[in-house]
Amino acid sequence: MSFFFELLSSKIGFSRIGRISLSKERKIYFNTPNIIIPIKNTLMKQINFIQEFERHDLFQISKEIFLKIGFLREKFKDTGFIFSNIGTLDKFKELLDQNLDVFLKDNIIPIIPFNIPTTSLSKDFAECEIKNHLIKVEKVFCKYPDFNYGLSIKIFEYSELLDIYISFIKKHKNIKILNLVDVFDNLSNYRGILNTIIKIKKELDNNLVIMVSGRIIPKMYPLMIYLGVDLIDTSYLLYLSAENFYDTIEYLLPIYKIKYLPCSCVACKGELENLIDKKYSSKKIDLLCLHNLISANNYMNKIKQYLNYEDFRAFIEKSTLDDTNLISILKVLDRDYFDLIRYETPIVQKNKEVRCLGPSSYYRPDFQEFRERMVKNFKPESWTSLIILLPCSAKKPYSLSKSHKLFHSILRKFSDFPNFQEIVLTSPLGAVPRQLENIYPVNSYDISVTGDWNTEEIKISADTLIKILEKYDKNIPILCHLEKGYKKIAQRAELSLPHKFVFSEIYGKPTSKESLESLEQLIIKYKNKFTPKEGIYQESYITKTWIRKFIKILDYQFGLDSGIKVISNQLRPIKIESDGKINLIDLENNEKLGYFSFSTGQICLSIIGFSRLIKRPFSISSNLIVFDGIKVIGNTLFRKGLFEFGFELIPNSYVAITDIEKKEIIGIGRLIVGSNFMQNSKSGRIAKIIQKR
Amino acid sequence: MISNRPLAIKNKIIRQDTLKRKKPLDIDQLKQPVSFWIKEDRLLNEIGKEFTIILRTKGCSWALGENGGCTMCGYINDANIEPVSPSLIKSQFDFAFDNKIDKIKNDKEKYILKIFNSGSFFDDNEIPKSIREYIFERTLDIKNINEIVVESRIEFLNSEKLIEMRNELGNKYVEIAIGIETVDDYIRNHYINKGFLLDDFKKVLNRCKEHNLGVKAYLLFKPPFINEQIAIEDCSNSIRSLIKLGVNSISINPLNIQKGTFVEYLWYQKRYRPPWFYSLFKCLRNSINQHDLKKVRILSDPSGAGTKRGIHNCLKRECENSARTILKNFVLNQDIRKLDEQIYTCECKKIYQLKKWFN
Repeated sequence: MSFFFELLSSKIGFSRIGRISLSKERKIYFNTPNIIIPIKNTLMKQINFIQEFERHDLFQISKEIFLKIGFLREKFKDTGFIFSNIGTLDKFKELLDQNLDVFLKDNIIPIIPFNIPTTSLSKDFAECEIKNHLIKVEKVFCKYPDFNYGLSIKIFEYSELLDIYISFIKKHKNIKILNLVDVFDNLSNYRGILNTIIKIKKELDNNLVIMVSGRIIPKMYPLMIYLGVDLIDTSYLLYLSAENFYDTIEYLLPIYKIKYLPCSCVACKGELENLIDKKYSSKKIDLLCLHNLISANNYMNKIKQYLNYEDFRAFIEKSTLDDTNLISILKVLDRDYFDLIRYETPIVQKNKEVRCLGPSSYYRPDFQEFRERMVKNFKPESWTSLIILLPCSAKKPYSLSKSHKLFHSILRKFSDFPNFQEIVLTSPLGAVPRQLENIYPVNSYDISVTGDWNTEEIKISADTLIKILEKYDKNIPILCHLEKGYKKIAQRAELSLPHKFVFSEIYGKPTSKESLESLEQLIIKYKNKFTPKEGIYQESYITKTWIRKFIKILDYQFGLDSGIKVISNQLRPIKIESDGKINLIDLENNEKLGYFSFSTGQICLSIIGFSRLIKRPFSISSNLIVFDGIKVIGNTLFRKGLFEFGFELIPNSYVAITDIEKKEIIGIGRLIVGSNFMQNSKSGRIAKIIQKR
Repeated sequence: MISNRPLAIKNKIIRQDTLKRKKPLDIDQLKQPVSFWIKEDRLLNEIGKEFTIILRTKGCSWALGENGGCTMCGYINDANIEPVSPSLIKSQFDFAFDNKIDKIKNDKEKYILKIFNSGSFFDDNEIPKSIREYIFERTLDIKNINEIVVESRIEFLNSEKLIEMRNELGNKYVEIAIGIETVDDYIRNHYINKGFLLDDFKKVLNRCKEHNLGVKAYLLFKPPFINEQIAIEDCSNSIRSLIKLGVNSISINPLNIQKGTFVEYLWYQKRYRPPWFYSLFKCLRNSINQHDLKKVRILSDPSGAGTKRGIHNCLKRECENSARTILKNFVLNQDIRKLDEQIYTCECKKIYQLKKWFN
């Protein structure tokens, strides 16, 4: 049989939602990420096991008896099966030979095993074994070239040995699943683990399904999915059950330690409680197997729920908090591999509260992306004569908070208010110009605020602030209406900048009457200290609050000066209440340039809007992809239809689609994947088509 | 065979380390064999007794050589390392033989004489020709001794020596035991470090047959780097192949952890677990039927059985005793049905089934 993988959606990090299709005709497919439940005689004898898992998507079978057609076609006809064995490759070949018709017609995916050696002496030893193994595997491919396979990969803790597999995998296009057998066996080798994952992502087709087996416990699942794992083999839980371990997810406890069963699954509600103290009991082991598998399944469902509908990254951080190795993996991934992961992580998440849990959140990829992109693409307004630094607020966007309304009540007393550049200091996003308060993640994040900031937070915010303020003329005064940790940020920035920092007096809190008066007095004193080179009329459309926002949001999304290119005339923003959008209509010619969405904080440009942004001759950039044709049809652009693309494309960003000759923009798309996927894959969905010419 | 493979290098280092720490043997120790005993055993066609003598010689040339020997074998620890004079070897043999000969002569049972030197009987550096002739001569006269078995690596099995043995031992049934360990060349040479190919074994097998000598093949059950399932498959495959080749006896030796060996090094690091009895029984059931047992004798007398260094299940006394008894009954009676006898049903079978994947 043939099967293939489709990426449906990129999520944060390398995590993704996909689908493995086993039969187009019968419409049998299952979603990833997913766990693989082992089928064993001992489990099949338990009626509760069958009841619990009869509707599960994917099972693993290793014995020939389960290949019998009756069993597969009657009981589990709409289910997927992974077939592998723990024996020799010769035995595997023999089983393939004897059951060819089953493999050809049914919903079974054969995974070529790699079971010996069970351990390695040295890198040389491992290298020799891998090469020898692949010679034997080659024979399987030659004998059955029409099958699609999974390939088991063992690297014996030497991540550099993955190179031996790379050319082999590239040569054999019918390898569809990579089964990483021992990559996660030793979590303390976290750099090796990351090297392996990164290499797979960088050098191999991203449509390959990543499966993991070996010594894996549910606690590791969230991080594995974050690393791009699609399928997880749960067989190890049976081994742990045989060792009398009870999994609570947070901990793997010997059963004798359990005094209060924290689960109400069918096993725990049944006899398990009565058998805890029984030293030798095969019934107890049966029930432990059942509980551990149910527990893993429930956890996977939770993961899928959060992956789809919540801020998955916060869940990852929480789940790794009490394991030093998992923390290390996350840390190293954030710091050392950001340049790769930024092109895998969607630029926005819609409608999600993004919780910052502490230091583990500071360098999450969407936050790093925001800080870097904002600094790179933010250009000071030419008419700015005063900079005002303000503290952030719990309510987002800041303008809707009580505190900021009070700040605005002071600022807006001044008719030249548009000349003031407000910058909001916040952890861990750093420093946010007012114009960007509606974009992701500024519009969604939440963090514990006590007034105390740690050194890292101050550093991140100060560094970001410095980079923004460096863009301004050094003679522009900077008014700081800040206290406590916020004040420390400004004081730290002051040390590195030639600008004049002036601090207001805070009486009690920044929103007290006296504090606001102090701010007002400072504004009066300093607002005319600097005369910008390019003045601007107060009545100019471009000083209107929302216009200023749209211009800077467009710069943020599409690069410096994008805003002014698109919004070159007067703009009439029309808010559509029910949709949570604002249409951007050019007043002069009534053209719809696009719309702003409150849920994402992004502007979706129309073809007209994009035409103002990108002029002929079109060149490859982060805003443009070239279609392999003249006209786009349908709602989805696939990889095969992609002719040319840039290397800085990020999922969920908007791009213009041009025809193959780059003569005109023929559509607007919203990317499903980033440039890394496009580069390394020959198939799959690339973008949702929003508008066609 | 190549001696610069990582396994051979490590194996050699461990071997040399062990030998360095070995204390030299004194003359009194060299006058007596390592061990000798009489016990019940399976003869070719009936139950009888074995008389086993383990001679102390210089030691296996393979273990003392460049490659460090087989990865699981620690018998070199019993050897002298330095040459042992023919007279001392003669003393050893006489010591054991004279000790038991009366009992043997007066016994109604038939005997198999097993002369082991934890090396090669036909290696002149271990047992010179004169001593071999002496042993043959003394053995020939004992009527109760119907069968004789000696061990040797294949490089010492030339026609001359085989003819000599055949001629000296009259009508007695003679078997040459060869440690083939597995029919898989890769496993044999890369994991056991044996140093010869299946084709080499086949040539020697034919040579022995030409000279009317039987061959007993030793199979190693669960070599290092192998999991339980592959152990079953490998051994099953080996048994079937050897039956087809026409060997006379197959002795299945579950690996036991001997001191100073490469396997012990892995075992200490929890990277190797000796096999379960359940796996051995499964292997036997998979590969042999009662009809096969008319053509070939299947033997298994594991060392250290029921202990953590040897083949074992859960180490519970009743479970281990039961398994040993089942195996012994099968071997003595050459009856496959004995493997299904339920002397004791242990809970550990479930544990075995679940842990097999990761052992």
